Amino acid sequence: MLMHLQDFDKMFNAMDLLQRRLLATPSGYETGRPALSAWNMPQAGPSTNLYDKGENLEMTIEVPGMGKDDLNIKIQGNYLEVSGKKEPDTPEGYSAHRVERGTTAFTRSFTLPAEVDSSKVEARLTNGLLTLILPKAEAAKPKQITIS
Amino acid sequence: MGEHANIIPTEEAMPERGRDIPQIVPLVDIYENDDEILLFADMPGVDKNDITINIDNGTLSLEGIRTMQNSGAVQWEEFGDTAYKRSFSVPQTIDVAKVNAEMKEGVLRLHLPKSEAAKPRQIEIRTA
Repeated sequence: MLMHLQDFDKMFNAMDLLQRRLLATPSGYETGRPALSAWNMPQAGPSTNLYDKGENLEMTIEVPGMGKDDLNIKIQGNYLEVSGKKEPDTPEGYSAHRVERGTTAFTRSFTLPAEVDSSKVEARLTNGLLTLILPKAEAAKPKQITIS
Repeated sequence: MGEHANIIPTEEAMPERGRDIPQIVPLVDIYENDDEILLFADMPGVDKNDITINIDNGTLSLEGIRTMQNSGAVQWEEFGDTAYKRSFSVPQTIDVAKVNAEMKEGVLRLHLPKSEAAKPRQIEIRTA
């Protein structure tokens, strides 16, 4: 079997690349946060969950340190936009040892899997978690079909 | 059917997830003035009853457990049950008896007052 030296080089290059990927500790490792998403882009905005409960969708968003006045929710059809900003809570007359939390503003937008009845949306804020209950529009609701 | 009978008892034998919960190091801000050290820690979704704060032998350890009650079909999930854990070295000058903590909007505020002996003191110079 004959192989060009070039072929070996190609193979080793691929191996090097994989090894670098493996050894590179993602910067989010320490905090447990996925700092880099699958597309190697920094995650914009807070983490969210979305659940489908049949009649409605439920979304939870991590918003520590934000009050209800700091948050803005916009819904149109199946488009949802959540934005918020954190007021700095740096106390007066203190010197800082560590500032990791920062004061950030974010906007995150989502395409929901179903149309939402925006007039019946409910939003709750508990312990720094924002919960949105998004009732599906009549057309998007699951329907039982009886066999005649 | 016989298989189902085997499956159910194993689920009951593990009612708690215990060590499965992923650990996260919460982000903190630490400030200090003449009277106290003030610590903020982001722990969204943690109830104040699920937080334990220990000060032992110069080590302050924080732990907060978040348990999510979720139902329904998952469309996407970026966070879940979490144990927020972090520990710090604190100076011996902290008055452990006066430490107090409050939880607001998912942020823990921990006040660590300095003991009287450790506070800076202005010394007046008397004229002889």
